[in-house]
Amino acid sequence: MEGQHKHPIWAKLVGYAAFCVVILILPLFITDDYLLNKLARYLVFGLVAMALSISWGYAGILNLGQAVSFGLGSYCMAMALKLRTIPIQTGAEGLPDFMVWNNVKSLPWFWEPFHSYGFAIAAGVLVPTILALLIGTFVFRARVTGVYVSIITLALLVVINLVVIDRQRLTGGFNGLTDLAPLELFGLTFDPYAHATYYLIAVSLGAALFLGLAVVHSKTGLIMQAIRDDENRVRYFGYDVAAYQTFALCLSAAVAGFAGMLYTLVMAFASPTFLAVPVSLSIVIWSAVGGRASLLGSAMGAIIVTGVQGSLSDTPAFLETWTLIMGALFIIVVLFLPRGLISLVDRIPLGGSARRRAAAATGAASRSGINAG
Amino acid sequence: MPARAVATTGAILELRDITVEFAGFVAIAGLTLDVHEGELRCLIGPNGAGKTTALDVICGKVKPASGKVVLGGREITRLEEHQIARHGVGRKFQVPSVFRDLTVRQNMEVALCRAPGVLGNLFRFGNSGASEQLEKLAELVGLEEAMDVAAGALSHGQTQWLEIALLLAQDARLILMDEPTAGMTAHETAKTAELFNRLKGRHTLIVVEHDMGFIKEISDIISVMHQGRLLAEGTVREIETNAEVRAAYLGSGGISGA
Amino acid sequence: MTDIFNQVFSGLSIASILLLISLGLAIIYGTVGVINLAHGEFVMLGAYAVWFLEDHFGLGLFPCIVLAFFAVGTLGWVVERLIIRRLYGRVLDTILATWGLGVILQQAIRLSAGAELRYVQMPPGLSAAVHFAGVDVSAYRLFVLALTAILLAVTYVLIFRTRFGMRLRGVVQNPEIARCFGVNTSQIYAMTFAYGAGLAGIAGALVSPLKSVSPDMGTGYVVDAFMVVVVGGVQSLLGTVASAGIIGELSGGLAYLSNDTIAKAIVFLGVVVLIRFRPQGLFALRVRRG
Repeated sequence: MEGQHKHPIWAKLVGYAAFCVVILILPLFITDDYLLNKLARYLVFGLVAMALSISWGYAGILNLGQAVSFGLGSYCMAMALKLRTIPIQTGAEGLPDFMVWNNVKSLPWFWEPFHSYGFAIAAGVLVPTILALLIGTFVFRARVTGVYVSIITLALLVVINLVVIDRQRLTGGFNGLTDLAPLELFGLTFDPYAHATYYLIAVSLGAALFLGLAVVHSKTGLIMQAIRDDENRVRYFGYDVAAYQTFALCLSAAVAGFAGMLYTLVMAFASPTFLAVPVSLSIVIWSAVGGRASLLGSAMGAIIVTGVQGSLSDTPAFLETWTLIMGALFIIVVLFLPRGLISLVDRIPLGGSARRRAAAATGAASRSGINAG
Repeated sequence: MPARAVATTGAILELRDITVEFAGFVAIAGLTLDVHEGELRCLIGPNGAGKTTALDVICGKVKPASGKVVLGGREITRLEEHQIARHGVGRKFQVPSVFRDLTVRQNMEVALCRAPGVLGNLFRFGNSGASEQLEKLAELVGLEEAMDVAAGALSHGQTQWLEIALLLAQDARLILMDEPTAGMTAHETAKTAELFNRLKGRHTLIVVEHDMGFIKEISDIISVMHQGRLLAEGTVREIETNAEVRAAYLGSGGISGA
Repeated sequence: MTDIFNQVFSGLSIASILLLISLGLAIIYGTVGVINLAHGEFVMLGAYAVWFLEDHFGLGLFPCIVLAFFAVGTLGWVVERLIIRRLYGRVLDTILATWGLGVILQQAIRLSAGAELRYVQMPPGLSAAVHFAGVDVSAYRLFVLALTAILLAVTYVLIFRTRFGMRLRGVVQNPEIARCFGVNTSQIYAMTFAYGAGLAGIAGALVSPLKSVSPDMGTGYVVDAFMVVVVGGVQSLLGTVASAGIIGELSGGLAYLSNDTIAKAIVFLGVVVLIRFRPQGLFALRVRRG
């Protein structure tokens, strides 16, 4: 890409910090708890889109099954909360209500450990990560790449979605897990409309952005980008490409799983629609619109798209038209702005010096030719 | 001209009776080849002789049906590409392949593979004190002004040079070059010859080339391949007067026109 | 015995619909190299075309099938000219753009025809069951089976026996060389895309009497069809047929043993494992790799 230049790292850090400050002080100006809950949801989407950016934007793995991690995280949290609902909503002997209706006599073994919050929270991150580790090893060791990775992840998403819906006795089936207790931790109650919940999500997003930034600027991040460009070239430098790809997939899954847990907190339920194809594709759209190769860009893409969608949801006619416009907008971004909206920001010159230097260097390089002597 | 190398156990690279087949088509049929430490070996032959495939076998891209590859006394035949690379084999491809979205500096940082582990590299930032070394390499190939330019914006000749610089950054013992001067101007080719002559001794090189002028500039020993076999081996003069080689090149315009 | 026959027929019926939907997708992916996620919406449009023509003009199913082919085919041509043409060589981006297209088409139908389910009449002559080899089979499903076979034959002739097909195969093998010989590759791509879309339109028309017609009916189809194409191997017409047969019979059989959902899950898992070990598909020849 001729003439493209990237801002220096300090400029990025300033941008990321500014974003974090904005989302952290936002509640000071919002009195409506309902609105705050909506905002919290958008931030969760931002987090899961940022997670996709790690694997897709940086390592070139278009994971169409991102919703698997998101959904599994969400279910892990929901299972713990389901087991803590007040007795009126659970059946006899602490059985979740839907199990009683389905004639389940005792709590299934894999539900048992979810009595512990610690286990549930660890599982919300580790279950998606381990699954990603298995899938990554299975797929990347065989050098499956590009479109085929996307197809495999999509197919696995469908499989898991079908199984969750089918095993109603164990998972709540179509209805998912509803009537959940709020999370109570460190003396705080994280119910959907609480400020605590919003802050938990905002802090998580901020922390994830900065940690993610550290990862993509490490040598591992650099090698991930090199693999995206030309995985064979990387291989012949002595790197185990599959290990790096698997790592990117796992990291992305871990963050997405965490986002899923947060989503359960703001929604107060978990549903098989969280781990379904439309959600997965939406995540891809958000990241693409914002900028797949930018963590902040992906997060903001999600927040902007869902934000506009949400603000129109009170007027159904508008919402319908908006979806239409969204589709068109999306095609336009893919066609004409493949690096997403964030690439518009990248074009803003910082005092002009960086651009001039880069331009001068290109010119000098092409003039000077080769001087091996 | 040094005397013709004798195939002894002193070789850094030994190919023993390599056979490669692609869906019934025999690309290499019993190739045996020795290359000595610090040597610059040219590999020539008519189209379809199996030269590129031979390089592919050495760097692990293609697994031979039979035979073995020994590097510095250790068999590497069945290792994966990245493991072979870690044993000190570098490869330059016919179509220059660099990381187009990364800057020249980042390209070199990737090539500088000191520790290949995922988790260790998570805590490595910047160029880990190798900055000076990278600047020197860039200077060597004339890219010092372009360190922060995306590789995709380089000219074709510059891209070739960048890939050569990457191999030097990788610091491989054995460097495999597939038509390194393809698409270069006469001036650039001359510079490349100069560079290769300086690399000799410190690195071992195997160069697949068609340009006889270039070969005369750089090579000690030439190995000629034909129909997947080693046809002849010797100095430029010996090869040029070899009757079998002439016969092999018949119909393709002679050795210099290949 | 009749049980088994019933089972085989039900599998064949699934397979014929799968093949009908996959055929267009396979042709587009195999020749143009585009993963068309809007293919399901093309199917959906075919179904809506039938509903609209029947509801507003009282047309029967048979003329509707022809009209659906041309209507959706034309749309495919326009889409190729406006969007797809700009994305050749960017496979992953075509996934995204065609998904966006799918959203637009779905939403456009929802806004114009409404979100409610629509029903299409089965042609009176075909609504009965036919007694065949000791079992009752639906006449309409037999009709779908026959029409699928005809369409397959037409496609085969088109690709392997016509001038257009010869050029098309040339373009698939080597676009540059084809261009050197004066083949207008851009036109070939557009026509192929249009033909694939038209086939989706027919598929939609044919399934419309079997299922309820809704704006989002295409979403499931595209995933299924995609699995068929991948299993069959890109660029292999026969592979697509065989793969539709295998997946159809397998789905039917597994559904008989457990239920539809689990059957589908198992088939998809099988597809995943297959792609892992044979990304080129079951029926593609192993080619020399770069």
